Amino acid sequence: MLSAVRTRLARQGTSYLYLLPAFAVLLAFHFLPLLYAFYVSLFNWRIRQGPFLGLQNYADILTDPDFWDSLKVTFYFAAGVIPTTLVLSFLIAYALFRVTRGRAVYRLVYFLPYVTATVAVALVWRWIFHAQYGVLNWMLGFAGLPPQQWLLEPRGVVELALGAAGVAVPEWAAGPSLALVSIIIFTVWHGLGFAIVVMLAGLSNIPSELYDAAKVDGAGEWSLLRHVTIPMMSPTLFFVSVVSTIGAFQSFNSIYVMTDPAHGGPLGTTRNATMYIFLNFFEFTKLGYASAAAFILFLIIMGLTLFQMRVLGPRVHYQ
Amino acid sequence: MATQPAAPSRPTLRITPRRVLVHVLLSAGALLMLFPFYWMVSTSFKSLEEASQFPPTLWPSHWLPQNYVEAWNNAPFGRYLVNTLFVAVAQTISVIITGALAAYAFARMEFPGKNAIFLAFLGTMMIPLEVILVPNFIILKQLGWYNSYFALIVPWSANVFSIFLLRQFFLSIPRELYDAAEMDGCSRFGFLWRIALPMSKPALVTVSLLVFLGAWNSLLWPLIVTGSEDMRVLQVGLSAFQSDARVQYHLWMAAATFTLLPVVGLYLFAQRYFIESVAGSGVKG
Amino acid sequence: MARLVLNAVTKQFGAVTAVAGVSLEVADREFLVLVGPSGCGKTTLLRMIAGLEEPTAGDILIGDRRVNDVASRDRDVAVVFQNYALYPHMTVFDNMAFPLKMRHVDRPSIVRQVQEAADLLSIGHLLKRRPRELSGGERQRVALGRAIVRQPQVFLMDEPLSNLDAKLRVQTRTELVKLQRRLGATVVYVTHDQSEAMTMADRIAVLDHGVLQQVASPDTIYAHPANTFVGGFFGTPGMNFCAGRIVAGEGGRVFESALGRWLLPAALAAAVESGQEVVAGLRPEHLALATAADVTGRFEATVDLVETLGSEKLLHLSAGGETLVARVGPDTAVRNGASITCTADLSRLQLFDATTGDALC
Repeated sequence: MLSAVRTRLARQGTSYLYLLPAFAVLLAFHFLPLLYAFYVSLFNWRIRQGPFLGLQNYADILTDPDFWDSLKVTFYFAAGVIPTTLVLSFLIAYALFRVTRGRAVYRLVYFLPYVTATVAVALVWRWIFHAQYGVLNWMLGFAGLPPQQWLLEPRGVVELALGAAGVAVPEWAAGPSLALVSIIIFTVWHGLGFAIVVMLAGLSNIPSELYDAAKVDGAGEWSLLRHVTIPMMSPTLFFVSVVSTIGAFQSFNSIYVMTDPAHGGPLGTTRNATMYIFLNFFEFTKLGYASAAAFILFLIIMGLTLFQMRVLGPRVHYQ
Repeated sequence: MATQPAAPSRPTLRITPRRVLVHVLLSAGALLMLFPFYWMVSTSFKSLEEASQFPPTLWPSHWLPQNYVEAWNNAPFGRYLVNTLFVAVAQTISVIITGALAAYAFARMEFPGKNAIFLAFLGTMMIPLEVILVPNFIILKQLGWYNSYFALIVPWSANVFSIFLLRQFFLSIPRELYDAAEMDGCSRFGFLWRIALPMSKPALVTVSLLVFLGAWNSLLWPLIVTGSEDMRVLQVGLSAFQSDARVQYHLWMAAATFTLLPVVGLYLFAQRYFIESVAGSGVKG
Repeated sequence: MARLVLNAVTKQFGAVTAVAGVSLEVADREFLVLVGPSGCGKTTLLRMIAGLEEPTAGDILIGDRRVNDVASRDRDVAVVFQNYALYPHMTVFDNMAFPLKMRHVDRPSIVRQVQEAADLLSIGHLLKRRPRELSGGERQRVALGRAIVRQPQVFLMDEPLSNLDAKLRVQTRTELVKLQRRLGATVVYVTHDQSEAMTMADRIAVLDHGVLQQVASPDTIYAHPANTFVGGFFGTPGMNFCAGRIVAGEGGRVFESALGRWLLPAALAAAVESGQEVVAGLRPEHLALATAADVTGRFEATVDLVETLGSEKLLHLSAGGETLVARVGPDTAVRNGASITCTADLSRLQLFDATTGDALC
């Protein structure tokens, strides 16, 4: 009797041993650092721990115009990347789904950019966007448009577009800088493959019987899309939306590699929140400050995710 | 019951204007996707003069494969490659080991607090990288691991998503198999090693690809935790090369090409696994 | 309602012929059951009528209008799918209203028509629910309701009962037939279950490997199958078959087989010739224990197994190397292993050509 209990306890004990390696790693390098980050953010931490500041770092960040600028850049960036990714990936996946021949080849090609490292492909895109020798400016020439500065252009796209028509645009309405838009184009190009593949999987999960029933019921092409495809795709659309949002707000690689070495881009118009954190950490070694900024960003992202789940979640139809 | 076609039924070989249009648009999109790669390769064979020409040429007038040699020699790419390979392989192996053990415990064993611990594990997936960047930097420095392989490998030697995936797989192995093995005198670990793991090859391939790819393409973390040139991984090295090599665009392209080749090769070879792995990491049931 | 005409309808998928030149007429208000084993092409045929599949050859006419090039939505047919195909994100009401909405019927009419159909099927209380909250039987009614609401010319049903449990299935069978009579609907009903076909159909169309075997009323199909396939497909247990040959004997033509020599009744004898190789078919209920009064159709058999069903007994017999099943009364006293003498009711004997399997009379 006692030995049975002892065996059971021994087995349970060894169960914990199985968990131990993973647990140790996650605890030491993910979970504890989360708590530690908060701790760090309460100090004037440079190379070494400095004096206790309480929430002063947070206050300083919230009163720093550069921080608010970086948030603006983050939002512009997200506003550019997320809807574009959602719409394009859906359209392309929808088209791919209807195509039977060559689907595998198309999928292969569209997915390729996603597996390539950002740094390597960014080199090409910087070259494509090059103000003097870049291919894009060459193509603009064909369309009769003047060459652009692209990654070096601090002026907003709205300002550029309307300015060409001779309309003056106030500063707040200038829109994201062309530099940022260039990075948005690059980011969409790079990440589209993932979204397409996820959308394609979602489309494949719709039972074909539903389409049959709707066709017999009298639905035409557009009605099929509206009443069958999109509602049935809502879990996938929701997922891609949430993941894209988190990704866009945390985005670092695209901006880092496209704006080396300044990292702030022309007049800081490509410095997003993550870059702000990075610069404070890496260049200015204001560790406490950077930690605080990271937490603020974390809270913003969490808030947005919860918002999406609250607002969009209930409208998702699960089968 | 008669068999149902898998996709919405449509006539097999009709060439309608609409289908042609769809193919034209898809092909145009595909070309846009591929164009940067084409440009990369074609510029990599040009001379600097030709590369800096405006309007640019579509095709190198003189092929200069020596650009590759020059780019390679311009920075210790060999070292970068070795570092990256080592780190990627080490991470993959560790993730599989820590992941299989933990997943097995979650799938097959009973112990107090199991559900709570599992939820805690899942919770760590929500922690964003930028928040733990700073504290890890401090911790690693204090451990004396800064600028070492330890810093590159150990923090990423466990991966919650992999644990989740493997757990799903282990759960799908019928209970009877486990019971039969126990009757035959097989230990729990023996079952894992001899039966569960060999049966989980698809899941293991998925996990390996994801971790390997993640390690290979990693930029931010290595940037933070390494400082010297000889410890750089490929992406960090490439980024440094970019700023060091200034305006030598032809060399940029050559370097970009040869750093991409291994992954692209692996992708083409195992594309089905690749696509399904990465997509699967996203789509939750 | 209207009649449906199929003219040499063929469907090929690459090298595979799913449906081979089926010609069939379904009269207005008729309940026609399309039956056959899995893979025989019945669902493909149904899908072609619905417009979900294009025929490789042949014509389909609904209400005397050729509809080969007409899209599903304009054919005025309704389909009840095997898995119901209810729109999971819509309520029952919206599911049933959908076809009307697609035809831009005005809202008050939609409400009225949906309510009518719902009342007819006793699902009025479910209108606000979603499909996932319903039982299988309820979902099936909703699928039916969606079809009824449109008052189409033809109803097409693809094994609608196969996902219901056995008891519900039998109950729903009768309801479906009653509903059809009440609506005066023309129905083409697909199933693989021969008992469903027998109980529900006005006429049965039997399909095997894409080829139409026979179209006739259930009685005719049962009593006069057109070939051995049809004979063997219907009836539980199936028809007994015994190969043999026709020889000339005193008194007329004789069927000679491992079971013995049987003098054929005049009507049968006229259809065959001496020397012909044939297969004889006899239903289990047409075999009995021989009494002294039975003169013809006698044979010796050993009882391998007695199945007691309560209302009857099934005797599994071995006779002359052949295995047969006889259906006898519940009070028949026979034991396993016994040697008995049986008699076959030769007036019910079916003769089929040994090579083609086609009926000879």
